[in-house]
Amino acid sequence: MQETVISIQSAEKTFPNGVQGLAPITLDIFPKERISLIGPSGCGKSTLLKLIANLHQPSEGSLSWWNKDFSEVGKENHRLSFVFQEPTLMPWSTVRKNVRLPLDLEGIAPAVSEPRVQEALKVVGLEHAAERFPAQLSGGMKMRVSIARALVTRPNLLLMDEPFGALDELTRNRLDEDMANLCGKDDLTLLFVTHSLYEAAFLSTRVMVMAAHPGRIFAEYEIDPAIPRDEAFRLSDTFAMICQDLSKLLIEASHSSLVAKVA
Amino acid sequence: MPARLISLFAPLAVGVLFLLLWQGICYIWHIPPYLMPAPSDIAHSLFSNINPLCHALYSTLTVTLAALLVSVVFGVLVAFVLVQHPLIERSLMPYVVLMQVTPVVALAPLIIILVKTTLLALIVCATLIAIFPIISNTLQGLKSVDPGLAAFFKMHKASRLKTLLRLQIPSALPMFMAGLQISSGLALVGAVVAEFVAGTGGNSAGLAYEILQAGFQMDIPRMFAALFMITLTGLALYMATSSIRKLVLYNRIQH
Ligand SMILES: Nc1ncnc2c1ncn2[C@@H]1O[C@H](COP(=O)(O)OP(=O)(O)OP(=O)(O)O)[C@@H](O)[C@H]1O
Ligand SMILES: [Mg+2]
Repeated sequence: MQETVISIQSAEKTFPNGVQGLAPITLDIFPKERISLIGPSGCGKSTLLKLIANLHQPSEGSLSWWNKDFSEVGKENHRLSFVFQEPTLMPWSTVRKNVRLPLDLEGIAPAVSEPRVQEALKVVGLEHAAERFPAQLSGGMKMRVSIARALVTRPNLLLMDEPFGALDELTRNRLDEDMANLCGKDDLTLLFVTHSLYEAAFLSTRVMVMAAHPGRIFAEYEIDPAIPRDEAFRLSDTFAMICQDLSKLLIEASHSSLVAKVA
Repeated sequence: MPARLISLFAPLAVGVLFLLLWQGICYIWHIPPYLMPAPSDIAHSLFSNINPLCHALYSTLTVTLAALLVSVVFGVLVAFVLVQHPLIERSLMPYVVLMQVTPVVALAPLIIILVKTTLLALIVCATLIAIFPIISNTLQGLKSVDPGLAAFFKMHKASRLKTLLRLQIPSALPMFMAGLQISSGLALVGAVVAEFVAGTGGNSAGLAYEILQAGFQMDIPRMFAALFMITLTGLALYMATSSIRKLVLYNRIQH
């Protein structure tokens, strides 16, 4: 059996108020994959991500993390980080202390964690802003702090919920390229939600197109991981083709959601 | 002129104009000081009675600050207890509200009979009036934690203590500071009300007693002088707590 990072066995989520957020989903995520979730609003993308982060418990079915249960998460080689849709920084702490938070919570001494904070800040290009407070940063900078905070634990699985949704196109493209670089280097598996199919096409090795009523995976689309993800790729015909395919799938998915809602 | 100077001088100019008008009316119509003292009469009374007035101010300020301190300590403690579990909050909150809606003025005579030391009785009265904003604001603050950050702490398996120290308390700080500001005003109100009810003279006579005494003696300028000192105290408390608030929350505000 191949090792999975996450294995979801017909997990479903029905909320206490009776809303079925997710129909049973079965999905395996393998090391070094970069998976994006796209789909109409309300199709359960965030719910799926929260199930994987153990912020929600499945009402039926089960999940495993590195073929174990959640108690294993956080140990060496089994680290998980979550980047929320909002930066969710502590407004009372400097950028440096915000980034250090997950290490502080683990009880790692500042002497050990400081160099790692520095390193994470360097990755997102914010070393110069380490002593600033969140109120003194632009939206894009806050988001990068949030990403640095996720990277500082050296995660093996990174979950991101529309991380760049609020950013302008150029900043977003830059961060996408940074992410692609980062994933290439480390033993990092990426699972992210996006509203932009261009972003999904650029960054992913696998795109999951989801549909609503109830939330489910509508289609899967594979992209060759060997293609280097750079500016040339963004301008290539392959990229345009992928975007077209994804666009069609997305339209079908939202159609299917509507039909299901009416039925 | 910069906006800061305008916001300083405009209200000052209104004040000076008002005083001049007041002085003018008293002067032109020869209004006797026992009906309506002119600002100059009040200033005169203030300076000639400065020693007893300052002594009274000292007493009132002692009660006010002590009540504020007790309110902060107990108010924060109560809020911490209430936030531990929804059941605790639901069973105790009605009594906190009950305490708030009961006019303390009505309770004051009882408290003054029950508590033997006058100073202590005054502090208890003032505390009862001042404590509620601290409790309710701190409680709201402790509960106003960013759900995203709460999820982050949960995901990183943070202990209850770490969550309290590093998330809940800093999150509650802005609301607590707002509560402190309201409470500082109420503590002064409480101190003055308690002094009125207790009617204590002698060594622990406060500004309220000065007002009562001046009233009995028909010394209206002195009454105004005492009133002026109470207002000034209130203003000083407001400015002090507002500066503390700005200082503590300095980094969270966009400059
Ligand atoms: N705590 C909750 N209680 C009840 N229903 C919920 C809850 N959270 C989400 N839902 C419902 O579950 C469904 C899926 O929500 P989810 O947030 O996963 O959607 P999404 O795909 O992330 O949408 P978006 O793209 O708008 O963020 C929605 O119909 C939503 O109303
Ligand atoms: Mg969502």
